[in-house]
Amino acid sequence: MRLNETTIGIENTWCPGCGNFSILNSIKKAIPKLEEKGIKRENIVISAGIGCHAKIFDYLMLNGLYSLHGRDIATVQGMKIANPDLKVITFSGDGNAMGEGIAHTIFAAKRNQDMTLILHNNSVYALTTGQYSPLAEKGWNGPSTPQGSVEDPLNPILLMIVTGATFVARCFAGEIHHLTDVIVEAVQHKGFSFVEVLQPAVPYHSWKEYREKVEFLQKEPDSYEEALKIAREKHKFTLGVFYRADKPVYHEALYGNHNPVVNRISREDRIRKIENIFHIG
Amino acid sequence: MTNNVFTFLVGGKAGEGVKKAGSVAAHIFSKLGRHIFQMDDYMSLIRGGHNFSVVSTSTRWISSHYMKANLVVNFDKRSYDLHFNDLSNKNGISIYNSDEQEKGEGIGVPFTSEAKKYPMKTLMYGVGAVAILSSAIGFKKDEMNEVIKSEYPSGIKDNISFADLIYDIVNSQLGRKYKLEKGDIIRPILTGNESLSLGAIAGGLDVFYGYPMTPASSILHYLAKLAPDFGLAVVHPENELAVINMGIGSAFTGARAMVGTSGGGFALMTEGISLAGMSETPILIILSMRPGPATGVPTYTEQGDLNFALNAGHGEFLRIVASPSTVEESYYLAAELLDLVWKFQTPGILLTDKHLSESSMTVNINTSKTKWSESNNYDGEDYKRYLDTDDGISPMIFPPSNQLIKWNSYEHDEIGFTTENPKMISKMHDKRHKKVKALENYLKNMKTVNVFGNDGPEIFTYGSTTMSVLEALKYGNITAKVIQPIYLKPFPIWELEKESKKSCIVVEMSKAGQFADLLKEKAEIKTKSLINKYDGRPFDPIDLSQQIKEVI
Repeated sequence: MRLNETTIGIENTWCPGCGNFSILNSIKKAIPKLEEKGIKRENIVISAGIGCHAKIFDYLMLNGLYSLHGRDIATVQGMKIANPDLKVITFSGDGNAMGEGIAHTIFAAKRNQDMTLILHNNSVYALTTGQYSPLAEKGWNGPSTPQGSVEDPLNPILLMIVTGATFVARCFAGEIHHLTDVIVEAVQHKGFSFVEVLQPAVPYHSWKEYREKVEFLQKEPDSYEEALKIAREKHKFTLGVFYRADKPVYHEALYGNHNPVVNRISREDRIRKIENIFHIG
Repeated sequence: MTNNVFTFLVGGKAGEGVKKAGSVAAHIFSKLGRHIFQMDDYMSLIRGGHNFSVVSTSTRWISSHYMKANLVVNFDKRSYDLHFNDLSNKNGISIYNSDEQEKGEGIGVPFTSEAKKYPMKTLMYGVGAVAILSSAIGFKKDEMNEVIKSEYPSGIKDNISFADLIYDIVNSQLGRKYKLEKGDIIRPILTGNESLSLGAIAGGLDVFYGYPMTPASSILHYLAKLAPDFGLAVVHPENELAVINMGIGSAFTGARAMVGTSGGGFALMTEGISLAGMSETPILIILSMRPGPATGVPTYTEQGDLNFALNAGHGEFLRIVASPSTVEESYYLAAELLDLVWKFQTPGILLTDKHLSESSMTVNINTSKTKWSESNNYDGEDYKRYLDTDDGISPMIFPPSNQLIKWNSYEHDEIGFTTENPKMISKMHDKRHKKVKALENYLKNMKTVNVFGNDGPEIFTYGSTTMSVLEALKYGNITAKVIQPIYLKPFPIWELEKESKKSCIVVEMSKAGQFADLLKEKAEIKTKSLINKYDGRPFDPIDLSQQIKEVI
């Protein structure tokens, strides 16, 4: 199969009305826009964790590796480190990126890894029958917390700004143009870009709950301190780009303009250098 | 000099240059064209405690240190007491720190009061040990000073002045006590971890991931140092989960990826090993064992993770497990495994341990004899990542590509899309399982078992313990046939048919006798006598030769 084929004959198993459809459609709209900006489709590689969000892996005609729960964030970093010519994107649920894989998320931000993390935030473990998630409201009544969860949710926007992400935004699956534009910007951004997408899982949350609460930032914060302040104060339904910054990216700090896969050193040169080590050592 | 072996032992606190003194001694011996084996024993701490380095040398190949030393230099009373019985009773000489004890066996040297006069203080003790060795083997001062200059380049003037002083103190009693015969050629010295790192590079390594854990950390350190020159990416990420998954992500792009760890880190990696099995990702994992379970004894040695390496990871999938016996074999086997994991698109484990990882040996490596990792690349149309072929091995394409490349942790169809279809599930199980036969057939044309000697009782062993056994046989003048399976999974039963149903001696560093069990289960080889050690310390050839003699 080729990347530009549109019909793929894979059964979509998301619930009718799921917010994930909007994320899928936004990505499909974003790809041609990225191509217009010079990012080739074949240079994009993707990963996904495990959960409802991750089914997007099968629905996108893009190259990639369908990873494990929470490990997708490490998977794409390995892709980028080996071949920095690739544009890497991972789709991660809130259980993935904020639970099982949170160490990978924090460290990807900390090292400003040149990648995009799209956080499908439905604030619930949907596929495993509705347990509370790291982003679920306190009091969430799920099968693992029948008396209501007793933990406060994380603030992912604040967490990402604090730990070093250089592009941090929140979108809503019901605002598909905004979502598409932000994804295009995030993928183009050089550095760790984080896009949280509020995404109703319809058996657990209604679109109405979201539509009543979402609002856009009046203006994009123009300093780190202001971004922190807004991220702390604004409730979790505020949409927009909270923070962006230019910082050296990980792979360039590690080995400059090198590309370990494309510019491999030949066998002969390796042997010669090893002989030198033996000779001197 | 028992057995034509000379042994130098230096002991003291961490931070006094004990290990460095051992390494310098090893270089002095190798420059004489001799073979060496250096074993460093150190505690899990940064300053203080007790460390020692023991270097044995001979004009023949030597595959173990000896715990009966000819020359013992102790920097403190604790070391003196601990190593009192490690002195060879034939011609052993002990050097002690006369500032720490009034009386002692051997020659007293005022290390503390003399070193105090220099800004580097106790850091200079190692230089003193080198001066003592220089005197004992009959080096002239200028020969010694050449060594000091090249091995201790910071503060050369002070180092030489201190070495001269120590040399003068001991030379009247110690000078030229040991005449070391010159050997044939000067050989490089490598640790097992350095050797396997270089072997992997020679075999095509592109990226290495590791999280510090003794005794595997020195692979990370060595490769990080070599990375710029060899164009490698060497990364120390947040944990071993990241390590294995970054490795898998890199392999997806076509990069030859390797990771390294010890038992605890390997436990965290098992989830990723299973992913590599399902997604058919080639990845080489170095597992360097230390005593477990749990934190165990971090800086010591054991072979207790054999069963874990053979079985780690949920679900059924192909894996390759092989264990090198020597520093030299570590070089070739790393490259060979890197090639195999790419040929068969599955995880491979190079099983080693602290004793082999961190001990040093003189080596004679044919650098170009290594395998170069090749993959089954595809340049046609209608690409299917998991194409079902006769041998189960599917073709590979790497991004960027306009043909769809899908690697998947879920059960999947031939293209790589997720499936829950019962026919497809069993078909893909069958497809992956075909690789088991294919690999076995491939290995039948390779060297999978080392055999040393033709006659005498059969002794089975593997990994670093092979070296201990070979040295024990030499020391004890014992005739035996030593059989060392290099490959442990698939287990090379086709090479061991003659030994089937026989009762043999098994030597391993495991309480439970895991290797003996494997021999029984896979090859119906019974264990007549199990010689096992599990105190964290490698076998000493003198003790082991005695144990072997008792069971023959």
